[in-house]
Amino acid sequence: MEELTRAFVDLDLWTLFVVICNTLITFLIVKHFLYKPLRKMLAAREQEVRDLYTHAETDRREAEAMKRDYTASIANAKQEAAEIVSTAQKRAEKRAEDIVQQANHDAAAAKQRAEESIEQERKKAMNQMKDEIADLSMLIASKVVEREVNPDDHKRLIDDFIDKVG
Amino acid sequence: MDTNISGARVLWESDFTLPLFGHISITETMVNAWIVMLIIWGACIFFTHNLQKVPKGKQAFIEKVIEMLDNLVEQNMGKGCQHYAPYIMTLMLSSILGTLVSMIGLRSVTADLNTTLGWALMTFALIIYTNLRYKGLGGYLKGLLEPIPVMLPLNILSEIATPVSMAFRHFGNIAGGMVISTLMLGALGALSGAIHLPIPLLQIGIPGVLSLYFDLFSAGIQAFIFSMLTMVYVGSARQA
Repeated sequence: MEELTRAFVDLDLWTLFVVICNTLITFLIVKHFLYKPLRKMLAAREQEVRDLYTHAETDRREAEAMKRDYTASIANAKQEAAEIVSTAQKRAEKRAEDIVQQANHDAAAAKQRAEESIEQERKKAMNQMKDEIADLSMLIASKVVEREVNPDDHKRLIDDFIDKVG
Repeated sequence: MDTNISGARVLWESDFTLPLFGHISITETMVNAWIVMLIIWGACIFFTHNLQKVPKGKQAFIEKVIEMLDNLVEQNMGKGCQHYAPYIMTLMLSSILGTLVSMIGLRSVTADLNTTLGWALMTFALIIYTNLRYKGLGGYLKGLLEPIPVMLPLNILSEIATPVSMAFRHFGNIAGGMVISTLMLGALGALSGAIHLPIPLLQIGIPGVLSLYFDLFSAGIQAFIFSMLTMVYVGSARQA
């Protein structure tokens, strides 16, 4: 049986119709099975990347704000610390000065008191010495002259002498 | 040895007739086109199976292909034309695979004028539709009168020549390649007989080299040209 074939260059409406239908179906296949899932996936990826970037940007801003806050508070703290230290230092200095002043004052007072008492002692000793010398000299004089000397005259004389001597 | 070059085989023909179509039939072209469609379908499912956000292997490959085609479409048609990409992809795949089925011993789908004419008519319809949409009926008809009204018949002719030339270019290249391959094979067989070789030794290798050009290269280049022309024509129709 001879095979039935078409002409080599052949124009047939039915074949044309089938070709167009085939191509439309292929188009739908390509669109539905290739492009739709791929485009969807690509869009999802794009969205994810964009989200990632937005997120990163937000995080970066937050971190920056935090950093600024921390820097400011650290600077604050430093200043406060410096203030505290300087206040304390001033107070301590003042206190030290007070103490030294007080000590000086006390020392001066003690010295004065000591000087006063020394002077007193000295005067007392001097008076005692004077009395004893007077008595002694009167005794000597009475021994010498062998007679009672008027104690008042003698006392005056001796006092004069002592005053001249010392 | 007889060398016979004919059109597509008719596998089945109806006894009845339909209005307009007459006796309808199923030809080799149709069956091979369906095989191609099945291959495309399978490939689509294979490549989009189990898509990941981080691509690798086949997904990276298909994404690259899609991206390249998107770029090509954008270059030739302008920005915001990516919805045309599936149609261009359809044409490219159908054309290249329709030609390359000859590699597995089937008759090329594109070696049938009806196939390429069908595609060309679809592209033509798309061109006319795009023209009407972006320029309006008046704008389109006015465009036919430019640069001077006397050019009207020539402009109409060139409009009609668009699908015809696209269809015949593609068909002619593939069918011509097929004819040359077949003739070459017959000639080499005859030559082998003429120099008294026990078996047609010359048929080994040489047709393969020719096939490299007429099948592989031609298939790629014709698919590319057809898609390219579609993009350029539709793209220029968009520019009001």
